[in-house]
Amino acid sequence: MKIRLSHADGRPLYVQIMDAVRSGLVRGSLRPEDPLPSVRELSSSLRVNPRTVSQAYAALERDGVVWVRHGKGTFVAPGVRPEEKERPRLAREVARRALADASRHGLALADLMVALREVDAQDGRKEDGR
Amino acid sequence: MTDMAKATLPIDLGSGPFAVTTRGLAKRFGSVRALDGLDLQVPEGAVYVLVGPNGAGKSTLIRTLMGLVRYQAGSVSVLGRDPGGRGAEVRASVGYVPEDYRFGYAWMTVGRLLEHHAAYHPSWDAEYARELSTRYEIDPGRKCHTLSKGQSRRVQLVLALAHRPPLLLLDEPTDGLDHVVRDETLSILSEHLADSPTTVVISTHRVYEVEPLVDHVGVLSDGRLLGQLPRDELRGGLLRYWADVPEGWRAPSDLGGRVVRRSGAARGIEWTVWGDRDAVTRDLSEAGAAVREVAPLSVDEAAVALLSGKEAS
Repeated sequence: MKIRLSHADGRPLYVQIMDAVRSGLVRGSLRPEDPLPSVRELSSSLRVNPRTVSQAYAALERDGVVWVRHGKGTFVAPGVRPEEKERPRLAREVARRALADASRHGLALADLMVALREVDAQDGRKEDGR
Repeated sequence: MTDMAKATLPIDLGSGPFAVTTRGLAKRFGSVRALDGLDLQVPEGAVYVLVGPNGAGKSTLIRTLMGLVRYQAGSVSVLGRDPGGRGAEVRASVGYVPEDYRFGYAWMTVGRLLEHHAAYHPSWDAEYARELSTRYEIDPGRKCHTLSKGQSRRVQLVLALAHRPPLLLLDEPTDGLDHVVRDETLSILSEHLADSPTTVVISTHRVYEVEPLVDHVGVLSDGRLLGQLPRDELRGGLLRYWADVPEGWRAPSDLGGRVVRRSGAARGIEWTVWGDRDAVTRDLSEAGAAVREVAPLSVDEAAVALLSGKEAS
């Protein structure tokens, strides 16, 4: 699981960790029943407070994305269906950020929609990632 | 007068339990008030960063908590003890990285110094000390007085961490370390927090570096606190508002919050306000400002806003 935290990002760190797990599910790099790094490992590699990682895992558990097997660690929940829930959810999150960025520059939704289609047509279809 | 009356942001963290408290703490050096009625509250298990300009009193405060500086007024409790009368007990139960990187035992080898500390602290974890020494590439055969600033810092960090104390007081812990070792130190601190229940107070100028570790923030200036609060409350309550305003716009006299810092150009304002986001946004809108963006501040930005706002008032 690849996570890069940004401190310029408006999202709290635990939300960034949650989004990274969701994004792993959508990409397919994380699958149901895969183990997540331990709180100690992840906090050490991200240089964050272990409580921040615990907070992210607890919130993901409440959302049914992961489950904690006591003494064994945290795993992606067996019943997770990324296409049904996580993909639209992540898309909404990205849309929210794009809209906030547009509004910061004085742009409206209509401007953004037009530009999205134009840029997408010009640059070819890249939404599957590079 | 204590901080409670003068702080810009909240400084009361409630009823605890606290690992460290001071109440009306005062210390003068001649005519200089180094600590001026300070009310510190460090919750048990917190990672508390102390921010402030040079001369704000950060090192004096930490040295006072260690019983290395005698205070003149107020009260202090460190792990339930007053360092004024029980300094030795406090020092035995705290892991301390001092601002100064020279050792009292300059003639000792590093290995001897580690043994000396192991004997002094019953909770010394020899295996952990070895692991840290390896990660920090510490040579036990070196004489302490021959160590560079960065090498001394690494030894000081091992001495502070290896007895797994309930409280760490770290005064500029990454000072003198190069990029790689600073990064390694942050990783070591994350693991230490995962392994040992610890309260940490960090004083640093590199706030951005420790920001992901921190859950409480205290901003110190001229020996008093301008704010002391959980990181999440700072993030939620101290916000920067960007708004477009008509030519000749007059700011509302009453806003649903306290303006900490004002800046901006003729038709755009950039205000840092402490208050409820919805209330502030509503009041700005009702006064004719079109709010474009509202964003939280990094701890660094928050400290700058508080400190420069203080100078302006």
